[in-house]
Amino acid sequence: MDAKTQKYDRQLRLWGSGGQQALESAHILLINASAVGCEILKNLVLPGIGQFTVIDQRTVTQSDIGSNFFLDSDSLGKSRAERAAELLGELNEDVSGHWVAKDILFALTEDPSFLSQFSMVIATDITRQIAEKVSSLCWTNQYAIPFVWVKTVGLLGTARVILPEHVIVETHPDNVADIRIDTPFPELSNYAKSFDFNTQDTLEFGHIPYVAILLKYMEEWKQEHDGKIPGTYAEKNQLKANIRSGMRSGDDENFDEAINSVLRSCQPTVVPSAIKAIFSDPKCETLTPESSNFWILARAVRDFVNDHGKSGGLLPLSGTIPDMKAQTDSYVTLQSIYKTKAKQDVQEVSKLVDTVLESLGLAPGSIASEEIETFCKYSAFLKVIRYRSLEDEYTQPKTKQIASWLSEEDSVFAHYVLLRASDSFFDDHGRYPGESNDWEEDVDHLHANVATLLQSWGIDTDVISKDLTHEICRFGRGAIHNIASFMGGVASQEVIKLITHQYIPMDNTFIFDGARSVSAVFAV
Amino acid sequence: MVDAQTITDNERWAGVYKLLDRHSLIHPEFEPQEEIKEFIQTCKILVIGAGGLGCEILKNLALSGFCDIHVIDMDTIDVSNLNRQFLFRRADVGKPKAVTAAAFINKRVQGVTVTPHYCKIQDKDEDFYSEFALVICGLDSIEARRWMNATLVGMRDEDNPDSLKPLIDGGTEGFKGQARVILPGITSCYECSMDMLSKPTGFPLCTIANTPRLPEHCIEWAHILEWPNVHGERKMDTDDPKDIQWLYETALARARQYNIQGVTYSLTQGVVKNIIPAIAATNAIIAASCCNEALKIATTCAKNLNNYMMYSGNDSVYTYTFEHQRKDDCPVCSTSATKLDFKGDKTLEELMDYLKEKPDVQLKKPSFAVGGKPLYMQAPKQLEEAMRPNLQKPLSELFSSGDELTITDSTLPFSLQVIVTFI
Repeated sequence: MDAKTQKYDRQLRLWGSGGQQALESAHILLINASAVGCEILKNLVLPGIGQFTVIDQRTVTQSDIGSNFFLDSDSLGKSRAERAAELLGELNEDVSGHWVAKDILFALTEDPSFLSQFSMVIATDITRQIAEKVSSLCWTNQYAIPFVWVKTVGLLGTARVILPEHVIVETHPDNVADIRIDTPFPELSNYAKSFDFNTQDTLEFGHIPYVAILLKYMEEWKQEHDGKIPGTYAEKNQLKANIRSGMRSGDDENFDEAINSVLRSCQPTVVPSAIKAIFSDPKCETLTPESSNFWILARAVRDFVNDHGKSGGLLPLSGTIPDMKAQTDSYVTLQSIYKTKAKQDVQEVSKLVDTVLESLGLAPGSIASEEIETFCKYSAFLKVIRYRSLEDEYTQPKTKQIASWLSEEDSVFAHYVLLRASDSFFDDHGRYPGESNDWEEDVDHLHANVATLLQSWGIDTDVISKDLTHEICRFGRGAIHNIASFMGGVASQEVIKLITHQYIPMDNTFIFDGARSVSAVFAV
Repeated sequence: MVDAQTITDNERWAGVYKLLDRHSLIHPEFEPQEEIKEFIQTCKILVIGAGGLGCEILKNLALSGFCDIHVIDMDTIDVSNLNRQFLFRRADVGKPKAVTAAAFINKRVQGVTVTPHYCKIQDKDEDFYSEFALVICGLDSIEARRWMNATLVGMRDEDNPDSLKPLIDGGTEGFKGQARVILPGITSCYECSMDMLSKPTGFPLCTIANTPRLPEHCIEWAHILEWPNVHGERKMDTDDPKDIQWLYETALARARQYNIQGVTYSLTQGVVKNIIPAIAATNAIIAASCCNEALKIATTCAKNLNNYMMYSGNDSVYTYTFEHQRKDDCPVCSTSATKLDFKGDKTLEELMDYLKEKPDVQLKKPSFAVGGKPLYMQAPKQLEEAMRPNLQKPLSELFSSGDELTITDSTLPFSLQVIVTFI
């Protein structure tokens, strides 16, 4: 094992070499070396992102040092960007860190294409105006740049993910086993028939793989029920009873495994509705030479399903089966039957991929066979997330949804309203509520901002109690390291999921209430 | 007159001090007072573990205003720690974690003293643990958590409020984790929730020996059966790449013989060392939750978690906060004995195997006694040999239905009282 594999062993077990490569090609911009900003970068530098750049015009103060681990007392008075890049850079010799001691707006005025060099932008401690500007530049960039905006206020934290579209193949579902008892393919049926339940000795009988047991009893059931599988609860119980009656000793483990899988196996194998929605997505229907591999592959798999319309129109087989009580030979044979069928499906899909590529004027074979294989394997779990833009969030609020979120008892969503109102407070006063020693004087102003916001959505203004507004003023925008670290962890998990295109990132706003230790995600 | 130190502290801890200086209408019982700030600067906090969670916890406490922090860890630094244990560098590989982590924090954060203890938690006695205001655990071992929990619960004396040592426990796996607050004798304790742990992944010996199907079966064959055959008394060192390489090659040969695919070096290492995937991001989330609770408990600036929060980042972000209930017959925090129905014609060995597997018990090497009379003892060797025949006897020959068994295990600092009723 090489040194890098050793160092990254614990994370490679999550996202593999593909995910790692994606991280190592990423260049991340951090706007503002705040406590939470540096915590986010720490969690990305450690697992080995390629490069990062910190942009921050300010110099280091005492309170920075008190709440930010990556600014030390030697940093006092020096550039925050420079010192943070230096101390974060020490965490991993494979990562290259850069810094720009400028205000982000100034940098964008100087060079309007400044953001284009980054694969991801993370901002902390910025005003709504700056967020809107950065967000719109990222959204409209030729290659849309994911933008993550994180806030911490006292014991509260929020994170917002903004990008037009995110597609995931490797969603890492808990279980990709796909055994298709209801619709066995010919090789599988023949395999099941190869077991003679009457002539086997005790050892053999106790090791008939449960898939063969289920298939036998399911076939018998179908013959007696016009080819239909059990549908009702009573029917499923009857199938279980049939299987139980076939036991010899009463505690044959393999029969128990078969009985335990009845409910799942009686779920008809179909194309899940979420995948059908992907197939009928305009991006799948209308491909262009610029279409991403995801959509080209989705189209090929859709064509695969349609081509097999007569035989049920199923997705490519995953080729994965669970472990089960069985002799080595019969298990390995069963496994290879599924694997062979999965390979055949992949070959068919590959041909369709080439047809699609050709129709787009692209070179056949230009999508790697491993990529096609992975896509087929996870085709039942594909995911497309379309995020709302910040502009839509502000100009077309989902008032009905918001009213319903706020109507829940102790709604975490109240904090969203309070932080939005704090932005309005900033517009009015040029500072955030509760920052000065006369903090309680801000409560009425802020509460008026809350009311205005709620009224603009047509929502009753007393859904948010003044005590909560008072609490925001108490926080006074103070940086609490624990909250910065918590939000740094959450945001960096999301960034890793976005960069690796593995696991499923949140859509689109995460809110943490550190006073009650509760959180929720809202698609605002 | 305000002295320079106060100005610096007020500036430095501006965020935390806002919380501590200002009253709240959400938490009306909180009364701001200078003593609270003094308390967090002077109280002693103990951190168990200086690994992925431990590094984060130490940093968080130091930046929350806690100034007297102790840390216990018996491990040394491995290269595979460097992707998340950010207080360590490549040059530190091989050094004690506790010492290295403490030195780093002491250098980085002025005015904070972290005292390292390079030892096992079992090496310290109750006098040591009683010095601390609260304990935060960042461990990856169930055994160590059970020990720490039982020790702190055992130290509680209802007549002495100072004997109550809040225990905050965190754990992570991949993108998931959990944080909880244990107030010994008040909330549920670690032992109360043993049944929430997923069953340890073991494979039946007969599968490993006779009917391997998975690459893991081949690896366990090399690990459990073939190693002692070939190496005799020599103990395997799972940190030695040579030993892992031998296991890998042996497992691979067996897999080839049986046509089983998927044995890799990495999987071999994962199976024999029971490796849990770990990343900095999740450790940050869980450690921060733990320290957020520590700050709330130490200052009362907001209500503390009551008492469990689960976090999952695999699919979106999901947290679940709930009150885990005490177990009426918890062997650690309750005085009543556990009740168990068991067939009287089963043997003592069968009872022992059952208790080893039972998720809320999970014994390793239990010894049994009834009414002060031993039934089976794991040590010393002569006694074990003398009593071994009892293992094969039916329970009804050894004691009567309704008797209370006392079960001890060297891995646990408490004994289990079980009333067995024959069915």
